[in-house]
Order: sequence, then structure tokens, then C-alpha cells
Amino acid sequence: MTTAAPSAAPSEASSTIEARLTQDRQRRIRSGGGLAIGVAVLVAVQIALSSLGGFPESLVIPLADWIDDARRWVINNQTSHWSFSFFFNPVSDMIDWGLRAVEWFLLWLPWYVVVGATAMIATSVLGLRAGLLTGVGVLYFGAIGLWTESLQTVALMAVAVAISVAIGVPVGIAAARYDRLQQALRPALDAMQTLPAFVYLIPVVLLFGVARVPAIIATVVYALPPVIRLTNLGIRTVPAATVEAAEMFGATPRQTLRKVQFPLALPSVLTGINQTIMMALSIVVIAALIGAGGLGQVVLVSLRGLFVGRALEAGLAIVVLAVIMDRVTHGAAGIGTRRRLRLMPDTLAHVKPIRWVEGVLSSIDGGLSRAGSMMAVRMSRKLGVEALGRHPRKVLGGALLLAGTLVGAVSGRVEFPGAISFSFADRIDWLVDWVRDNLYEIGGTWFGTGWFSDSITIYAVTPLRELFSSDLAWPVVVLAVALASWRLGGPALAAFCTACAAGLGFLGMWTLSMDTFAQVIVAVAMAILCGIPLGVLAARSDRFERMLKPVLDFLQTIPSFVLLVPVIIMFNVGRIPGIIASVLYALPAATRLTNLGIRQVAGEATEASRAFGATRGQTLRKVQLPLAAPSIIAGINQTVMLVLAMVVIAGLVGGGGLGLETVKGLRRTDSVGSGFVAGMAIVLLAMLLDRMLQAWTRRFTPVEGGN
Amino acid sequence: MVAAAGDEAERAGIEVAAPLVCTEITKVFGEDLAAAMALLDEGASRQVVQERTGCLIAVRDATFSVERGEIFVVMGLSGSGKSTLIRCLSRLIEPTSGTVEIDGTPIGDLDDEGLRELRRSRLSMVFQHFGLFPHRKVIDNVAFGLEIQGATKADRYERALQVLEVVGLKDWTDHFPQQLSGGMQQRVGLARALCVEPEILFFDEPFSALDPLIRRDMQDELLSLQASMRRTLVFITHDFHEALKLGDRIAIMKDGEFVQVGTPEQIVSAPADEYVREFTEDAPKTKVVTVGSVMRPLDGETPAGEPVSVGAVLDDVLPRLLASPEELCVADDQGQVVGTVDRDQVAALLDEGSRAGAAAGDRTAEPR
Repeated sequence: MTTAAPSAAPSEASSTIEARLTQDRQRRIRSGGGLAIGVAVLVAVQIALSSLGGFPESLVIPLADWIDDARRWVINNQTSHWSFSFFFNPVSDMIDWGLRAVEWFLLWLPWYVVVGATAMIATSVLGLRAGLLTGVGVLYFGAIGLWTESLQTVALMAVAVAISVAIGVPVGIAAARYDRLQQALRPALDAMQTLPAFVYLIPVVLLFGVARVPAIIATVVYALPPVIRLTNLGIRTVPAATVEAAEMFGATPRQTLRKVQFPLALPSVLTGINQTIMMALSIVVIAALIGAGGLGQVVLVSLRGLFVGRALEAGLAIVVLAVIMDRVTHGAAGIGTRRRLRLMPDTLAHVKPIRWVEGVLSSIDGGLSRAGSMMAVRMSRKLGVEALGRHPRKVLGGALLLAGTLVGAVSGRVEFPGAISFSFADRIDWLVDWVRDNLYEIGGTWFGTGWFSDSITIYAVTPLRELFSSDLAWPVVVLAVALASWRLGGPALAAFCTACAAGLGFLGMWTLSMDTFAQVIVAVAMAILCGIPLGVLAARSDRFERMLKPVLDFLQTIPSFVLLVPVIIMFNVGRIPGIIASVLYALPAATRLTNLGIRQVAGEATEASRAFGATRGQTLRKVQLPLAAPSIIAGINQTVMLVLAMVVIAGLVGGGGLGLETVKGLRRTDSVGSGFVAGMAIVLLAMLLDRMLQAWTRRFTPVEGGN
Repeated sequence: MVAAAGDEAERAGIEVAAPLVCTEITKVFGEDLAAAMALLDEGASRQVVQERTGCLIAVRDATFSVERGEIFVVMGLSGSGKSTLIRCLSRLIEPTSGTVEIDGTPIGDLDDEGLRELRRSRLSMVFQHFGLFPHRKVIDNVAFGLEIQGATKADRYERALQVLEVVGLKDWTDHFPQQLSGGMQQRVGLARALCVEPEILFFDEPFSALDPLIRRDMQDELLSLQASMRRTLVFITHDFHEALKLGDRIAIMKDGEFVQVGTPEQIVSAPADEYVREFTEDAPKTKVVTVGSVMRPLDGETPAGEPVSVGAVLDDVLPRLLASPEELCVADDQGQVVGTVDRDQVAALLDEGSRAGAAAGDRTAEPR
């Protein structure tokens, strides 16, 4: 070993390190350089075209006029053309007949039978506590004087869901069998789920006019994807070995399906039906816009007249309906339900009085079940139906309900009694006034909800809208979309996104689209700023996660439209409540997926980081967040889509933009064309954002090795 | 348990068609099957075919027949194509070429209906991960085959209860499969396969998911069942010891091809190549090799003493050989003395095995 060696080695090493660092720096400059050049090009184009501003009228395709023509043709030919007399009208008549029948039946049943039946179903699926709460929930419909409207909504839902299931399950089964069908369906289903519910109403109105049947059709179209998807998925995830075993025993494809695949897929199918019900409920409410009636109508009319209290009462009824339907179908989807006679959470089980009450209940239950089983056994013997003997509780319950129905039919007293009545609309209205008087500027200072709304409007929404719609020349915006999408997903994505962006202009919806887009950006920014930190906190503390979960569950169960009501109480109508409601609506997605992403990071990676002495903050920044990035970006993607859906709906309460234009089209026959075009603009905007965000998500997925 | 029925018939001069005859079964997975098959015909190797066409040769030219009442074991490591092969036998996987004849009927010619009929009436299968139906009770799992055939509930339950009794599960009929242990689940699988009274049973690594002790129990039980029911069995395994224990004949499979087919004794005493020899190294030879194959043929005088059977495995005679240095006389089935055996011959066999094993370590050993 010479003396030179030790000194040479470090310098050699340091020079390679130097080289590395330089390389890194150059790479960073190159990638930053691309961005800088992009921005420079955009600025240059903007300066060159600064006089251009919004999209020129002359380039707009008069699609709206064509659609109005089509609408006129439809109206004129509704009675004569074959496609109506042989297809649309019979379909429409059949649905109408079914709806009337269900509605008539529900309203014919005595109110106490409806309450009892729902409570019994909930009890048998979820246990006594849920059963009692369900009973109270159903009573609430009557107590606020919306019995008929609630059952109308239920009937509407029932018919829509029945049609969805009748179409969705067979299609799902077929998709599971034929790969090609699945491939053909996937993009269609993706698109159907990406679009805001709202958009479906317009083409349906065009074909079927304004009434309850088109509302059902729109609902079916919107609510169909989950049941198809989950039937397909459920059947496809039946273990291959099981199917092979059935084949080996010589089962025909039909036998395999009936005896093996479908029973095993059933939990998944039921989950799909649960999702379908929830989606159906959310659109049935919005469908009030095209004359669906029911609870949605009450909310809508009350909001329009600014009877916020009444709107909240009806909105709460919708929420109650949603929660009942969600929990019951969820419970039904889980196999192996246990009967529980618990009134209180298990943590309170040691409290003496509660145990005592539960003891009494369980002995009553035992007695009832013994009586039921005596009856059931006798009935099963008499009717020769063996199965009856095994379900004493159901037989007893059924007998009670039947007796109740007979009593109702004989006495003729089926209507919800006026004596049971409950209203808090006045108090809410008072609260609205109080909020306006006291929170707008708290204690006469500058601070308050007014300040909050105003600053969001003045410093965020308005400048952004002005920037996109008139300050920037429209080619600059389109070019920016093109460059960004190219960077995210290459030329194919760039072509698609550029076409979407330019399409907004050609449809004549440039200004309105930019208005909506500005609202989306502000709402997404707020949702992310709240949602991701909440998700991080939830991931780090089990206790916080447990506290947060019911809140997020609740926010996700509320139909989007109803969420507007409480926000209006605080912020009055306008763009801001729409944005706030969007934030609330989208918050669960961002929070959940952040939490999930961080929690899914392998314990070993976190442990390794801790073993090297990293602080919690370092572990979060250097290990957990990077590894959770795909999930978090997926959360952002969902956030954006949810915000868009909500912002559009907020058009109803003064949010303006594309939503308002669409609503106008739904309300007034003379603007169906422009409403339709606005709906198409929503579709373009939704697809543009969704594709770009998905490309972004993919870049973070390690499998693709992208960085 | 050598194919007794077939042997007797042959001895009586009657020609009996084997119930299962497979001729040159080849299965290729991939897109460009024609090109792959053409290459195969030219004798190209598996690697070459895969490189040139992207097709995977799962099974290549598998030819064998299984006698009535025989247990035919196909032994190979994972990826050797054995599971694909067994599925070709019932067309759960369609072979790319070659024929499978069951009782003289080429099953490749059957239409869907005919194939179902064949599966319903003659074939049955036990699966590696049991393939039970998790949503059906044990009894409904077992009765599945009969249910598919349209049997009434009373009939199929009666038969299912009989079979469940045979496999020792009659107290578990109303449980669901996931409430049972692995060994019990596979008993359900076995009962389900037996319930339809098939002529031919396919076993796709049925015991490899089980604990060693349970596995041994199940093997013993299968042997005792087979002793009474005498079906034709094709049994897939990756466990050489299991193959030796169960098989009347064993096919060793490697890279989709049969390397050697023979009785356990033939395979252990004369491995066809280095690959097979490696398996035989730590095989329990004394449990497999028979006296007949190590004895010295009779020349001249007949030694005194009670003879040992020519078909006995060495384990059976070791105590006597160890007890005395004298040679023992060996008699055939008719009681005729045909040869002699002593300590040295057995020691030579075992020694040779260990030397071959040591030599195999540096890859210089020559097959015997």
C-alpha cells in the first residue's frame, strides 16, 4: 500500500459523488426546465392572443337548436311514430302501472303495519336496538306530516331498484361468463359512474318528457352500474377450484351457476344492490326536478321558497330513509346474522338497569318465540309446508302484520293519525334568522360567516373564474390542458383531454364551464386541505379514527342534495354554500383514502424507519406518505369527482355555472336544448378531470415503475 | 396391490382393455398453437418452443394406460405439468393433441352432453385445496354429484350418509366445510368423489395441503378403502415418498414429459436418469425393493429352512437376515423355491445406494 492510495481513494470517491450530485441537479433542472418552457410558451401565447379572451361565439356549434328541433319532433310524433307507439310508450306505461300499484299498496296498508313491518325486518337483520330505532324513524315520516310523500319516494325507489336488479343481475352474470361483454361494458360502466347523477335526467326528459316515469328511467340508468359490476365481480371471484369441482361432477353451466356460483356470489350481489339503492335514493331526490314528486319535491319547493326549516325536515326524512335502507341491506348482505337483544352498546352492558331491561326483553322474546313456534308448527302441519316450522318468529310476525292489515281494512283507519305530530321547522327558521343576524358579523366585528363567504368569493372564486373565462385567452387554457395531460399520460391522453377542453368551447359553454371549474378548484383545494390532514391524524390515532368514522359514514350516507340544506342555514344561498357542501360531500373520500393508504404501509417499513431513529414526522414524510401516495392521489381523484357532482347540484341554490343551466333546461321546455348542451359540458369536464387524475394516480403506482 | 383383476384376466388369456388409455397427450398454452405444434413435431425442446412462439408446453407426449383397480401415480415437482395432465384426462382442460380413451371410448369426440354424462357416471375427482362448496353443508357437498344427476333428496341423502360413515364423518353432516379441520375437509372431498360410485377417480395432490401426520393417516385410509373398493385411480403428487407408498405404478414427470414409468421397485432400483436418482437417494429402499430382485437364482442344492416369498419387501425379511448369517431360501407364489438371499446381497444394495448417492453429489456417477 503506497502513501498515495489513501489520499487518492477519497478524492476519487468524492469526485464520483460530485458527479452524482451534478447529475441529480441536471435532471432536476431538465424536468423543471420542461415546466418552465411550458409556462413560457403559455405566457407567450397569452401575450400574443390577450385580446381573444373567452371562446368566440362564431365557433359555437348550434347544438342546442338542433336538440330543440329534436324535442319538437318528439312532441309532434309521440302519438304517431312507431318507435313511440311500440317501444317508448309501452315501456313508459308499464313502469307507470308498476309504480302506481306499489304506491297504492303502500298507502293502502295501515300506517302501523308499515311501521311494524319495517321494525321487524330491521330487528331480524340487525337486532332489537336497530329495529326500535327504525320504527321511530318511520314514525318520523308521519310525524312531520310527510307520510304520503315518504311512501311515494319509497315506491319510486322500489320500482327503480327492482328494474335495476332485474336488468343488472342478468347482465352481470352474462358479463362474468363472456369476457368480451365484460370488456365492452367496463368503459361504459366507468363513464356512467363518473358522471354526476344530474346529467342523466336530460336525455330522459328529451325522450319521455317530464313526469315520474322518466325519473325512474334516469334513476335506473344511474343506479345500474354497481349491481352489474358486483354481480360480475362476485361470480368471477368464486374460487376456480369450486367451479371446476362442479364441472367435474357433470354439472351443466346452468346448474353450476344456480347451485355454486350464484349462491357464493350472493354477498357481493347484495352489496351491489345496497350501493344501487343508495345511488337510486340520491337521484330520486334530485329527480324531483323533473316531476318525480315525493320527499325530493318537498325539499326542492321549500328551498325555492326559502322555507329552510321545512326543507330540513324533509331532508332529514330522506336521510332517515337512506340510513334505514343502507343499514338493513348492508346487514342482509352479511352472512350469518345474529339475533341480538341489545338496547345499548356493549360497553354499557354492565349497567344494572339496562341488563334488567334486556333480561325482560329476552324473556318476552323467548315467550313470543315459543308461541310463534307452536303456531308455526301447527301451520306447517296444516299447510304441509315444512319450512314454516323452522321460522317461528317470522311466522308470528307475519301473522301479527296480517291481522293488523285486516283490522285496518275493516275499520278503514289506515291514515297516519294527526295526533302524532312533530315539527321543528319553526325553530330552524328562527335559527336561520338568528344566524343571519348574529353570525354574519359576530358581535358587530368584521369576523363571521359573511366575512368567510365574502373572502372566498372575492379572493378565490371570482378571480379564478375571471382568469379562466376572460383574462386568459381560450387557446391558452386549452393548450395548458394539452401540455399537462401530455406530461401525465402521453399523446393519447393529451388528444382526448384537448378535445374535451375545446369541446367545452364549441358547445358554447366556455364561460359557464370556467365558472364551474373555478368553483371545483376552490372546493377541491379546501377539501384536500381539510381531508388529508384529517386522514393523517386518523391513521396515527386509533381513537381519532373511531371518532371520525361515524361522522364520515353519516356524510357519505346523506344524499348530495340534502347536504345543501344545513349549509344553507349557515351561509344562505349563493355560490359559497355549494362550495361548502361540496367540501363536506367530498371530505370522506380524501380522509378515508389517506387514512387507508398510510395504514396499509407495511408495518415493517415503518418499523425499519423507526429503528433508524427517525422521528414520527420523518417517518411520515419519508416513508409513510410516499408509500401511501397512490391511495392519496386516488382519494384526490374521488374528491374532484364528488366535488364536481355537488357543485353541479349546487346550481339549484344559486351556484350558477353549468348546473344552473342544466336545471333551467329541466324546468323550462324552451331551454331543453341549452340544458342538454350544459349537461354535455358537464360530461366533458368530468371525463377530462377524471382521465387526467387517473393518469396522475398511475404515475404513482409503483408497479408501473413511474417517477 | 398390483392390478390383480387385470393380471388374473391376462393369466386366463382374456384380453381386457385398460379402462384408461392415454396416447401422446400434449397440452400447449399460448396463442400461436400451430407454430408451437410444428416445432414440437420437429423435436424442438420446451425452451426453444417458448422462445420462438411464446407458448408454454405444459404436457408433452404423455402416453400411458391405467389398469382396472390400479393406482397410477404421477409424480413431479411444481410446474412439471402433472396438474394439467390430470385435467386433460377429464377434459377439464382440453388437450392440444393426443387421445384419451375411457373404456375404449375416445373422450375427445364427445359433445358437451356426452362429456357431462361421462363425468356424472364414471369419473370423479378430489382436489388439492378440496374444492368444497363453502355455502353447502357437508352432506349437501357429498350429495352434490347425485343432485346434479337429478336424484331425489331421499336417495342422495341416503347414499351420502353411507359414504360419510365410510370416511368417518357421519357426525358432521350438518356442519359447513369451513368448520372442519383440513383433514376432515379432505375426507368430505373424498366422500363427495366416492358418492357417485365412479369407476375412475382422479386425485390432484389431495393430501399436500395437510399436516404430515394427517397426511399419513389419509394415505393409509385411502389404501384400505382401495383394498375394498378396487377402483381405478390416477393420483398426482409432488411427494416421492407418497408416490412410493400409494402407487402400483409411478410416472415421474419433468418439464411436461414422462421421464420414467414403472413400479416403485423398478424406479428405486433402476432410476432412468440422474433426475430420478436424486429422488430415490433418500427413498426407503427396504420398503420398496422385493426379495425377488436381490436374490441369487437357484443353482444346485436347495438350502433348508422356511422360505420367504419372492414378492416380500426387504423390510419383511431383515429381522431374519440380521438374526442369522445363513442364507434364506426364496419361494415363488406356488411355493416353489427359486433362489436364495443373504445379508451380503441386501448390504450390497443399500451400500450401492449410498455410494451412488455420494457420487451423485459430484455429478460423476454412472447409472447402473
